[in-house]
Amino acid sequence: MGTPTTSPAPERTVRLRELGPARRGSRPDEVVIAVSPAFADFFTKTIVDVPHAEVLRQLLAGIEEQGVTARIVRVRDTADLAAIAHTAAQLSGSGIAVGVLARGTTMIHQKDLPRLSNLELFPQSPLLDAQVFRRIGSNAAQYAKGESPEPVPTRNDQMARPRWQAKAALLHLKEVECIEAGRDPVEVEPAFELSRAG
Amino acid sequence: MPDRARLVVGVDIGNSTTEACLAAVAPDRTVSYLGTDLTRTTGVKGTPDNTDGVLTAVRGALRRAGRAAAELDAVLLNEATPVISGLAMETITETIITESTMIGHNPATPGGQGLGVGTTVSLTELDEIDPGPPVVCVVPHGWDFEDIASTVNAAVGRGVDVVAAVLAGDDAVLVANRLTRPVPVVDEVAAVEKVPLGMLAAVEVAAAGYTIRTLSNTYGLATVFGLDPDQTRHVSPVARALTGNRSAVVVRTPSGDVTDRRIPVGTLELRGSGKTLRVDLATGAEEIMDAVARAQPLEDAHGEPGTHVGGMLAQVRDTMADVVGQDGEEAGSPVEIAINDVLAVDTFVPAEVRGGLAGEMHLENAVALAAMVSTSRSRMRSVAERVAEELGVATLIGGVEGKMAVRGALTTPGVDRPVAVLDLGGGSTDAAELDREGRDTAVHVAGAGELVTKLIDSELALDDREVAENIKRSPLAKVESFFHVRHEDGTVQFFDEPLPSHVFARVVTLAPEGPTPIPTRHGLDHVRQIRREAKRRVFVVNAVRALRQVAAGGNLRTLDFVVLLGGSALDFEIPEMIADALAGYGIVCGTGNVLGTEGPRNAVASGLVAAHAAAAP
Repeated sequence: MGTPTTSPAPERTVRLRELGPARRGSRPDEVVIAVSPAFADFFTKTIVDVPHAEVLRQLLAGIEEQGVTARIVRVRDTADLAAIAHTAAQLSGSGIAVGVLARGTTMIHQKDLPRLSNLELFPQSPLLDAQVFRRIGSNAAQYAKGESPEPVPTRNDQMARPRWQAKAALLHLKEVECIEAGRDPVEVEPAFELSRAG
Repeated sequence: MPDRARLVVGVDIGNSTTEACLAAVAPDRTVSYLGTDLTRTTGVKGTPDNTDGVLTAVRGALRRAGRAAAELDAVLLNEATPVISGLAMETITETIITESTMIGHNPATPGGQGLGVGTTVSLTELDEIDPGPPVVCVVPHGWDFEDIASTVNAAVGRGVDVVAAVLAGDDAVLVANRLTRPVPVVDEVAAVEKVPLGMLAAVEVAAAGYTIRTLSNTYGLATVFGLDPDQTRHVSPVARALTGNRSAVVVRTPSGDVTDRRIPVGTLELRGSGKTLRVDLATGAEEIMDAVARAQPLEDAHGEPGTHVGGMLAQVRDTMADVVGQDGEEAGSPVEIAINDVLAVDTFVPAEVRGGLAGEMHLENAVALAAMVSTSRSRMRSVAERVAEELGVATLIGGVEGKMAVRGALTTPGVDRPVAVLDLGGGSTDAAELDREGRDTAVHVAGAGELVTKLIDSELALDDREVAENIKRSPLAKVESFFHVRHEDGTVQFFDEPLPSHVFARVVTLAPEGPTPIPTRHGLDHVRQIRREAKRRVFVVNAVRALRQVAAGGNLRTLDFVVLLGGSALDFEIPEMIADALAGYGIVCGTGNVLGTEGPRNAVASGLVAAHAAAAP
């Protein structure tokens, strides 16, 4: 299970440094994590203030715990989660990818699936916390290994929609503004930093 | 003698299906079969509720043959031996851990490898202790993997000899990857706060693909903890419980213990052949079946009142009383209900270990019992009356099911007397034999398809009868990509259209409707082995048991032909398992093909017609 930091908060931040155009991987033991245009850029937290640094760290940790490697790419020409995750699945050596939007909505995709399908979808971004991201990473890695993980239980909160819909819509509009049409996905490298600010 | 062909329909009411066979019997007694039909049995077999099913089947057969109900001369019903079977499963062992050890805890991804032996210390105290004897670091909930690694690294830097770590979360690989000095790490210990501190502990992690060597060896444990012979005897269950794990933690505490307790579940009292035998259920299936064999023919069985066995057998009796009694016309004398057969099967049930630290599961031994009840009475007469009323046709109750089945089986091409049939049903396995002289015998033994389903359900901890039923019925495959599956025999099949996403990477059953995922973490081989073992322990054991009872002198070599009938004879592997088991006795065994067209179905219905024709005035 995930382990929230106990000590009062040396908050971690992340910057994504661009390495160059994202290429198709050949290692069968890799999972590609694809982030949206505004992830860890214009925005730094999800809709419920989970830092993007924590989202990435937990996804990476879940994958590493399973002994699988990870690459991160940024998709820049769309803010549509299915498109982001599907694009990344095409780049992934194992065919498995995790797509994540700035507000936190996440999906596990596989390259042979139709774009609008998915292996696991976590549609209610306000209900995703560090633990869930850890398990998503872990499941994606297990799919890459050809194992049969139990799907991460998707929480459901009837009130999430009315409560968060307006904010989600605003975040989405902002994310759409960050789209750079016609630009191909880039491979990025995360640089985590501890800021004592809190 | 009538001068025209008489139109008759034989109807067999089974536990799950009702089958009809329509035929014309010519004045010279030759039979021409016109059509068959099959429908679900309505209500419990042998009760008036069956009428609807009978009518559906009869009308279906008439429609297929293009005849009208008015043309019928007689409806023949089987004398449904009111056989019902009850199932129960009782756990007979219980593993209890006091304090110290983690058994059966086998996290999917432990970290590091090797063996570390030291005193348990909480991570929160690690920066306060001085360099000295080796320590095993115990990490409570709520720590981030990077913080754990840096704290341990700092302590190691100061000279503290950290030799292993035990974690609450699923972080073992993450922590191990970040340690400056690699040590074995076991994770996912949910009740980590119960790990006693300041005690000697051993942590072992094997390399991927291997299992632990030291802690699963009694003498290994003795070496690690410096035990004397008496104490060594004491820890032997611990070592046994750890066999096959990739990682393990054993903490040595003064009173720590693992016990393997036998749960008193009661004794079974078997009455038959002039004696009464008592057998303790906890002794397992072999002893029970031995006692059953010695008490043949079994007259009745009772469970010790107030125990699990007692409750189970009482329940079977109650259900049966419901079937045969409480019908005004037939009430009067108290109904005599006797249990005529018992099948015991050893099985295991995954159960949570009491006192465990990580929610460990351990396979506990259990015994599954199938009991079969038959009575002297059936309520077939009231079914017959109702059918006669509805159709306006004379309705006769024909011969005993098993004996009719043999006559039906004789219509299978290539079969001759002496012939024995095995009717592999849902609740009971029935055998009947017809020898050269036309003498016939029939027996019913407890345990069939339902028991197989139950064994699969509990041994895989599915808790879903539907899924267990699917596993029983269809071969398995692993979905390796959206476009191909690997079947259980290792062959690969490709698909043009992608498979649905919910089956991706799963072990599936290949039912005709399409692949259905099995919700289990077990691999395909494990599921397959459990499925085959369950079938073998029920059907192969029962086939031999039932045939012994009908064969002359109990000698299977006197049988020439064995014909398999019933729903389970349609199974994809049971017929060959039975054929393999019987091959050694020089028996020709195969799935029946009644009338040359019906497969293993419709034997009783066809047999009823044949018997009726032979006995016709």
